[in-house]
Amino acid sequence: MIIRRKYLLYVLALTSAIIAALVASIDTVISVRYITNPWAFGFSTFFVGIFITFLFALIFSIPIRRGKSLGSKLIDPSFQRLRLLKKEEIKYHVLAGIGNSILTIGYLSLLSLVKDPSVVLPFSQIAILYLVIIESITEKNIPTLVEIQSTVIVTFGAILGSISLSGTINLESLAIVFLVINPGWVLFSINQRKLKLLKIHDKPNDSINIRFWNVVFACIFTTIIVFLYDYILGTGNFIEGIAASIDHFDWMALTMGITFFSYVFYIRALGIGKASVTQAVRSTIIIFSIPFTILLAYFNIIPLFSTDLVLLLIKIIGSILILLGIVSFALTLVKAYVFISIKPGYDIEKTMNKLWDIRGVSRVTATAGQYDLIVKIHTRTLVKGYERTIRKIEEIDGIKDYKWESVLKEWEKI
Amino acid sequence: MISAYILITIEPGTTNKAILEMKKIEHVVKISVVAGEYDVVARVQVNDLEKLLDVTNKIQMIKGVKKTTTQVIEKELTL
Repeated sequence: MIIRRKYLLYVLALTSAIIAALVASIDTVISVRYITNPWAFGFSTFFVGIFITFLFALIFSIPIRRGKSLGSKLIDPSFQRLRLLKKEEIKYHVLAGIGNSILTIGYLSLLSLVKDPSVVLPFSQIAILYLVIIESITEKNIPTLVEIQSTVIVTFGAILGSISLSGTINLESLAIVFLVINPGWVLFSINQRKLKLLKIHDKPNDSINIRFWNVVFACIFTTIIVFLYDYILGTGNFIEGIAASIDHFDWMALTMGITFFSYVFYIRALGIGKASVTQAVRSTIIIFSIPFTILLAYFNIIPLFSTDLVLLLIKIIGSILILLGIVSFALTLVKAYVFISIKPGYDIEKTMNKLWDIRGVSRVTATAGQYDLIVKIHTRTLVKGYERTIRKIEEIDGIKDYKWESVLKEWEKI
Repeated sequence: MISAYILITIEPGTTNKAILEMKKIEHVVKISVVAGEYDVVARVQVNDLEKLLDVTNKIQMIKGVKKTTTQVIEKELTL
């Protein structure tokens, strides 16, 4: 099936957000009722997570017809079966595992402090700020005014939306968000994107294997962190985590089972859009978490919240700002192909590298045919495309002629 | 695995129908409608050159397609 790339990104990121909001509510129940120690909860998450993710990956590896597996039909067309890691993947898995481990312990500490998913989740959306900064360094993409504007709108929206419906703001939780959760999330999502963009046996990497191996690496690093914490402070979180995994296996299996789908869809979305755009769409979690919070309050799992109109208004304004930020982010991307002919006597590979260094260039292809090179450009505005790309292309020696073709609409096989 | 771009010129007024037909062709992984000298850029992934010829033929058979230019990919740098 071929559908518009943009729509697929939205569907995947939104589904992931709805599932993640459900997971946050289940985590709140576990953290309030069963495992109150965030360190033990964090360890237990990945310890039980390995078994559950392995089980799902095995089920999705069942072959159906014409060499396709159940997972390729239902989840990710790139998936064939559970496999061992390739050498080039290990570096990214180590970094993503460290990121996931840090963010999970931070998130569970925050949940045990605040106990309200509609407060915890919006806070985490500020990760988009970090992502735009990192992308400007790693993806040669200096943020435009629109990107800065949208990011600021989303950030302010997230801050307003994260005010608890009981009207409190906790400074300790703010520190955990800015110093632990968000840097961890950035490390995690940037490296997951790198993994998704890798080619394995000439085919795109699949989200099920990425998720399984991420849980394995995150479990290793969480064990190390919990062990070190226990050793330094003389606590018994590791033993408590093992006991919690056995005593509350059913709850942990439930949360990790549902998390599996949230992350698999998120990783697929990362392979389609930039990490910051995917994160922006996933920010809608702030809205999806509100009904779950009301449900938790209804069942007396968290304290009843205030019905103060001012607080409700602030939360609604926050949610609207986040949505506005997302829309302006997603609607302002201009894409183009540039077809280039090279003068005889100039090295094609050297020219390719010079083109690759230009900001906004996302793909440089050497081809045999009427043109020597085809360049794909991603830019926020046509003016920026002209100033930062076309003028730079004209400056490269050896370029005989070029043709700019703006992309009006695009579909991609999923 | 061989990848190629096929640059397509289409008769005015037939673009939508031609794209609908193109979407049905196996091995076409991406279709971009563009403004400029060409009307559509399609990306194709096939196992051998014979299959590429087959895909190009199928595109040329679509009503409204005036001309195709095939660019076989030799090397690629991508994010």
